[in-house]
Amino acid sequence: MNDQELESEIQRVGLALSRAFPSRRGHPIRALDERAMEIASQDAELRAALFRFVDVVPACRSTDDLASHLTGFLEEIHDQPPSLSAAMRLGNTKAGRAALGAAGAAGVRHMAHRFIVGSDPRAALPTLRGLWRDGIASSVDLLGEATVTAAEADRYAERCVAALDTLAPAYAAMAPDERLECDGCGPLPRANLSVKVSALTPLLRPQAPDRGKRDAAPRLRELLRRAASVGAHLHIDMESLDSREAVLELVLELLSEPELATGPSAGIVLQAYLRDSPDTLDRVLAWAQDTPREAPLVVRLVKGAYWDHEVVEALQHGWSVPVFERKADCDANFERLTRRLLEARPLLRVAIASHNLRSVSHAIACNRLLGGADCDLELQVLRGLGDDLGHALATGGLRVRAYCPVGDLVAGMAYLVRRLLENTANESFLADQAHGVAIEQLLAPPA
Amino acid sequence: MSLQPFANQAVLELRRASQRAILIEALDTLRLPLQVPVWIGTQQRFGDELVSTDPSDPERVVALAARATPQDADAAVAAARSAFAGWAATPVQERAAALLRAAAWMRERRAELAALALRECGKPWAEADADVCEAIDFLEFYARGAIALGVGPELLQVPGERNRLHYAPRGVCAVIAPWNFPLAIPMGMTAAALATGNSVVLKPAEQAPGCGLRVVEALRAGGVPAGAIALLPGEGDAGAALAKHPDVATIAFTGSGPVGLELLRIAADVVPGARGLKRVVAEMGGKNCVIVDADADLDEAILAIVASAFGYAGQKCSAASRVLVHEAVHDVLVERLAGAVQALRVGPPEDFASDVPPVIEQSAQERVRGYADRAASEGRLVAGSGELPAHGWYCAPIVATGLPAGSDVLRDEIFGPLLTVEAVRDVDDACDRIDALPVALTGALFARNPRTVARVVARSPVGNLYVNRSTTGAMVGRQPFGGNRLSGTGTKAGGGDYLLHFVEPRVVTENTLRHGLVV
Repeated sequence: MNDQELESEIQRVGLALSRAFPSRRGHPIRALDERAMEIASQDAELRAALFRFVDVVPACRSTDDLASHLTGFLEEIHDQPPSLSAAMRLGNTKAGRAALGAAGAAGVRHMAHRFIVGSDPRAALPTLRGLWRDGIASSVDLLGEATVTAAEADRYAERCVAALDTLAPAYAAMAPDERLECDGCGPLPRANLSVKVSALTPLLRPQAPDRGKRDAAPRLRELLRRAASVGAHLHIDMESLDSREAVLELVLELLSEPELATGPSAGIVLQAYLRDSPDTLDRVLAWAQDTPREAPLVVRLVKGAYWDHEVVEALQHGWSVPVFERKADCDANFERLTRRLLEARPLLRVAIASHNLRSVSHAIACNRLLGGADCDLELQVLRGLGDDLGHALATGGLRVRAYCPVGDLVAGMAYLVRRLLENTANESFLADQAHGVAIEQLLAPPA
Repeated sequence: MSLQPFANQAVLELRRASQRAILIEALDTLRLPLQVPVWIGTQQRFGDELVSTDPSDPERVVALAARATPQDADAAVAAARSAFAGWAATPVQERAAALLRAAAWMRERRAELAALALRECGKPWAEADADVCEAIDFLEFYARGAIALGVGPELLQVPGERNRLHYAPRGVCAVIAPWNFPLAIPMGMTAAALATGNSVVLKPAEQAPGCGLRVVEALRAGGVPAGAIALLPGEGDAGAALAKHPDVATIAFTGSGPVGLELLRIAADVVPGARGLKRVVAEMGGKNCVIVDADADLDEAILAIVASAFGYAGQKCSAASRVLVHEAVHDVLVERLAGAVQALRVGPPEDFASDVPPVIEQSAQERVRGYADRAASEGRLVAGSGELPAHGWYCAPIVATGLPAGSDVLRDEIFGPLLTVEAVRDVDDACDRIDALPVALTGALFARNPRTVARVVARSPVGNLYVNRSTTGAMVGRQPFGGNRLSGTGTKAGGGDYLLHFVEPRVVTENTLRHGLVV
């Protein structure tokens, strides 16, 4: 394909998608959320105060405690708008604090429910069934506190087993949906669980990847066996660079074991914000070449969710920053990796996880021009953040999977804070979209 | 000479296998034992009276050193005194340049130096590497600081007089160094003294003469004149002889409380022949507390507490030894902390997978075990069993709860992998307990309410308070380090005012009136 051909196909796909976006007017509550995020994204101090409040809500013991935290954070804002001063005055009386605390907690719960589909997999089923009816598959992610003990690693593994045991029969009972259930390589499992290696061992050490690997291996092996036996897909998430070696090596080694060659369907994540992600893809491709599997390895391409962490850690230690610091460089890398992944099929299955209309349109256009069928490309969105895009993609006949976090509020708060930060980041595609940036600009090649 | 602004030397990125390989190779090629002389001027006297060994393999000899006598101390001070005038008169830019060349010398050998610190003091790789970096940082930081100090502060000027203040070096500085940061701390104290124009006699810890040798080699390679820096490997008697010497103007010490107090007593005693009051810069021990409020993020608090208490087996003056946790989260914290500590691996420092290395020597092992026994009988151990390597001075990492208020375990600096946990009513209760301590070095607070943070900041006596992070890992220029109360003389290593302790201010006022005219 030549560049011009690709660009015009991207524009065509992107325009069609943007027209398929649901109208906002029908969702008053969502409009309110977006208004709140809009305000937060415009005032750095207010944004900081709100995030710190969201972050601490689960650890507060009473409405009084909640109010004390809220007013404590708001106190640190210079030039308080009048609405905030009113809230601060409420904090002066016991009744006022009760009202303020209750309102704050309710606000955070409300936001959390937008991103977190249920307190456990069973509670999430109505939402998951609804998504399936709308033509959207899911990958369930079990939120949890950090794993610092062996007992916690065991408990997380047990929760994963229970999730597989809940999801597989629940999905089996759903109506057939040809589009979500097979691609050119064969059948696709309906139930899909994403797991984190950092939750499967307390022993991940950046300087000693083997240690965490060895400790996590038996737990992950059991999960892979279980996924195989119930016919579910198991996806192993990627986290910060500190654990990448351990996670990548662990997954590839386990999937090389003869007993797991025939199943389950499994996947890993490639983070396009990492400068060395092309080398990581080389390794994965070489492995896939040497390791035939009945269900090809799924590679989920993401931008990466730990950008701030990676930059701060590098700057604090005097290391070169391992991630692209310019958004356009990251986006361009995302597109190059997309193409390489698409060209690597059928050695791999490809899932493109992005809310950037340009990146998604590029993947769809590139796939089509490479001669691929739409069903040979999976597109993934985050529940709560990419709902509109997900529905637009599904409406357009594409194969979509929503990443659905499940867990209680305490466990989910770190995830929620990350999502909220993404949503209010100045450079975020969603912010551009919300501010009515012209579609041509949203679809322009990264530069 | 125009210098780049100070920046910390970057530690190795040990999450990358290629960087780990550099260190492994350096350890493989490290040739031991080192021969460490008493080194005064150009004279070297070798010997083997003092032996340093590998804490993880006590049969392995790391360095064979001559043992300095009180007579050696006299000779070293005499040499330093005669070299003093020349070094003091050397322009500060040249002195700074010598320190910067010493930094470059260390940078070139960083892997080898880290390997030596690992072998001689049982420092795990990451900490050994950080020790080399900190030594480099001190050289770079104090070189710049001395140049800045050379300008002198502005004084009020009125017509007819010219007022100037300059900082002159104090004279001979005795540096008495510990083994736990075997390169960084001796280099830091020595570099501060040299940068400001003092001559130095360095007595490294008897456990770490090999590292002390490298410190002196770096400085001499950088161009510090032989007379301006002497090496005196030895024990307490050599240190005491140095401190008592009438020609020693400054004693820079980092180490235990009792030794520090003894040095202060020695300094206060003006002996015959003395021509000045000795100044003591002393960094001593702590009993460092971590407050965990009910609203703390326990995920983060637990990992930070484990790192603070058990990194380098708790052998840092900044290490955490008491956790004061809000009663509402006490039980869950103890359960998770115990599990996290149970997961730690005790093992040799060269194994990147080790979490807790051995303690420095047999007597340290016995001391820590003694406190562990006491903690077990007075309270309850919630973590602390587990396999230990058969060989080497290993101690199991221990978490103890339920100790009575008067217990020695809650008061003494144990300097080993032993952590206690107490439930407190609230943050103020925790602050009261901290306030009752005679020492005040570091502390940490885990809390998310800004008002709580402000309250603890206002009440905390410690020299270095860390909010929502570990108590260890102070960086030169970022966290000037040093304690208050009986933890030290209140000086801040790696801070902007540290050099002032190594100089004396001199004011010159010139009358510029001649025949009633301003000239």
